[in-house]
Amino acid sequence: MGKPEGGDATVETAPGNGTAAPRPAVDRPWHAPGGDGRRTRAVRVAVSGALIGATVLAVLLVPPLFPLDQQAVDLTAKLEPPSWAHPFGTDEVGRDVLLRCVYGMRVSLLVGVVAALVASGIGLAVGCAAGALGGRADRLTMRLVDTFTAVPHLLMGIFIVAMFRPGIWPVIASVGLTHWVSTARIVRAEVLSLRARPFVDAAISGGASRLRVAARHLVPGVLPQAGLAAVLMVPHAIWHESALSFLGLGIPAHEASLGTMINGARGSLVTGEWWPTLFPGLFIVVPTLALAGLAGAWRERINPRRRSELVL
Amino acid sequence: MLELSHITAGYTPRAPVVRDLSLTVADGEALGLLGPSGCGKSTLARVAALLHRPYAGTVVLAGEPVRGFRFRAPRARRTLVGVVFQQPRLAADPRLTLRALIADPARATGRFTELADRADALADAVGLGGDLLRRRPPEVSDGQLQRACLARALLLRPRLLICDEMTAMLDASTTAALVAVVEDYRREHDAALLAVGHDRVLLNRWCDSVREFPTTP
Amino acid sequence: MNDPRRAANTAGHETAAPEPLLSVRELSVRFLMPGGRHVAAVNGVSFDLAAGECLALVGESGCGKSVLAAALLGLLPGNARTRGAAWLGPAGDRLDVLTAGEATLARTVRGRRVGLIPQSPAAHLTPVRTVRAQLEETVRELRGTGRAALRAAAEAAAARAAFPTDHLDRYPHQLSGGLAQRAATALALVADAPLLIADEPTTGLDRDLVDRTVGELRRHADNGHGLLVITHDLAAAERVADRIAVMYAGRIVELTDAAPFFGSPGPRHPYARGLLAALPERDFAPIPGLPPELDALPDGCAFAPRCDRATDRCAVLPDLTGGVACHHAPKAAHA
Repeated sequence: MGKPEGGDATVETAPGNGTAAPRPAVDRPWHAPGGDGRRTRAVRVAVSGALIGATVLAVLLVPPLFPLDQQAVDLTAKLEPPSWAHPFGTDEVGRDVLLRCVYGMRVSLLVGVVAALVASGIGLAVGCAAGALGGRADRLTMRLVDTFTAVPHLLMGIFIVAMFRPGIWPVIASVGLTHWVSTARIVRAEVLSLRARPFVDAAISGGASRLRVAARHLVPGVLPQAGLAAVLMVPHAIWHESALSFLGLGIPAHEASLGTMINGARGSLVTGEWWPTLFPGLFIVVPTLALAGLAGAWRERINPRRRSELVL
Repeated sequence: MLELSHITAGYTPRAPVVRDLSLTVADGEALGLLGPSGCGKSTLARVAALLHRPYAGTVVLAGEPVRGFRFRAPRARRTLVGVVFQQPRLAADPRLTLRALIADPARATGRFTELADRADALADAVGLGGDLLRRRPPEVSDGQLQRACLARALLLRPRLLICDEMTAMLDASTTAALVAVVEDYRREHDAALLAVGHDRVLLNRWCDSVREFPTTP
Repeated sequence: MNDPRRAANTAGHETAAPEPLLSVRELSVRFLMPGGRHVAAVNGVSFDLAAGECLALVGESGCGKSVLAAALLGLLPGNARTRGAAWLGPAGDRLDVLTAGEATLARTVRGRRVGLIPQSPAAHLTPVRTVRAQLEETVRELRGTGRAALRAAAEAAAARAAFPTDHLDRYPHQLSGGLAQRAATALALVADAPLLIADEPTTGLDRDLVDRTVGELRRHADNGHGLLVITHDLAAAERVADRIAVMYAGRIVELTDAAPFFGSPGPRHPYARGLLAALPERDFAPIPGLPPELDALPDGCAFAPRCDRATDRCAVLPDLTGGVACHHAPKAAHA
């Protein structure tokens, strides 16, 4: 697949019995067999990182640096296509779509990150407890998790949101309380596999208590996996927030969130005005893909298919 | 030192891998247990190290019958026995440096400062030093890692050492070096040894007596 | 001990050597590590292997012998860099496996010209399919045999590895260790690869199984395969090999016929002598010290710090001349 780094890096010698080969010409180039897969990976990481960095920067810097009112309604300029004044066009009441996308992303990122942390925290705790205790406690916990899984996420999310006034925190709670299940499963499986390793036997034989084995050998061993699950959870949470907002159950309709924007612009899509829906949609999709790209690279790092790349 | 009587153990009650086995290791004795791979001798070693609860039979360690296994065994009982496993890769937490690995039992028992010198001395005795002790398991060879695992097993001065195929993955020189470390320790502390393995020549050379593992039909 | 070695071959390479199956020339492999470090796992290794001959590559864990095997199969990871050559096949039709592309390796080398006999056959076989299914798949893939002839071809391949035909429909977990080894060997032999590489074929096996595995490996060499056995088990090496290559810190320090190496006059390199003396049936005395780390090799002889014969001359790297790389080695007995 790859190209050799240098030319033909060989010296032909008469086939003998292998003991009388002449000393090699010094400083012949080294050859990279099978190419260098790390280069494509580096490009992927760089692009994903740049996209995420740009998004985060925009979200953090635009509001303080450009004191524009995202709610500023301009009925003389409603549903204008993209132009220099409004790069992403304007929506049905003349608000700037770009500005509202940035503010919407702010809400979405906040919800995504906090909800992912909450969900992963719960998942890590439940998974570790189930895996480390084992036996009856494990079976009971996992049946509980199964029961939880049986109810559709969105339905339960709607139920939780409906109990409170619309706002950011109910949405975070709704996402966090429904999404820990997958993390719990991943963590438990990982803990179970670690628990069967002889190094746990060695620790027990060395006098370690149950708590110490869990805290020193099991939990640190699953943290990379749990971290990966948490990162992958962020886009998931963003989507969930958008879905709730789209249904009118999440963020109040007048506040910019990617979901409320798409919801509000639904009507204009049929009449051919594509920009108020496309751009918020892209704001959901592109950072999601970038995050997935970063998470994928991370996964390859902690779980290399070719062991000796990290080993030796 | 160790009396196993009528031990039946395994991982599914219907098909135990060890059936009705009895065995005694006297104080200070070195007993070799010889058997082909997959015959259940590793399971027996785990029972003897209080790491696996047998389905039936009794274990008497240092004159007292054993009532609990794994976490249920009191810490002082567990640490009477030191264990070295066959595969150092699996027996070492990959995140610990070799220095932390050797000292891990000291930390677990809250005797870290007390045993710090002993950990250094043991690292020296098994031939590990300097830069190697700062490395983590993926960065060292099997032989170096097994040296660290042996030092870890000897840290709390066990009165019985169980070596489960300790040298199966190692070359001749490392094997001889580790056996010499074990023998030095035994001479100094008058400790007993249960060496489990498949290499008759090695066990005959190493142990006072060698027993065949009874093969169940 | 019964010596299954073919007497005819032990001195064969000294005179008009047969065309080598594999000729490795000044092969070096190093790994690029984070922080600009690099690990020199294999350094300037050269040897030849002829058909019908068994070369055992011995050395302690971490001396680079498994990396060498991976290099010969084109299975090095992405951070490896190679130098030198490993020619496969006769002069007219030879191929450097180090510079060959992945496509060439996959389509013409692995399985077809080089067969791998794995370390743990149980892990090498797919647990969810029968031995027959795996054999037939390999036959179809490597030889393009049609469906009709597939069954017969798979049975023939099993027979060659002495795998009993009535066990073909079993799953790997239903096989004993010995039969699993034969099944894995049958897979390696399907396309009649002239060169077989066995990586630690005896690790973790008990004596009976070692004897049987070694006997079978020897039989493959006697049937005309070139066999490269990579092992730390000197007892197994003694029983299977025509020639011995001792590796230390990534270099071959001694390359010689097996009979004088294990018998009289014995090894000529101090490391090889120490390794042999460490066997429980001999002195059972370890070589003092540890091998050097492969990312910090000394300029001179890598064994000098552990060697009782080391002098100032050892600050210069000794060449492998006359089968041994040591400034103080005794002259070869038959030279």
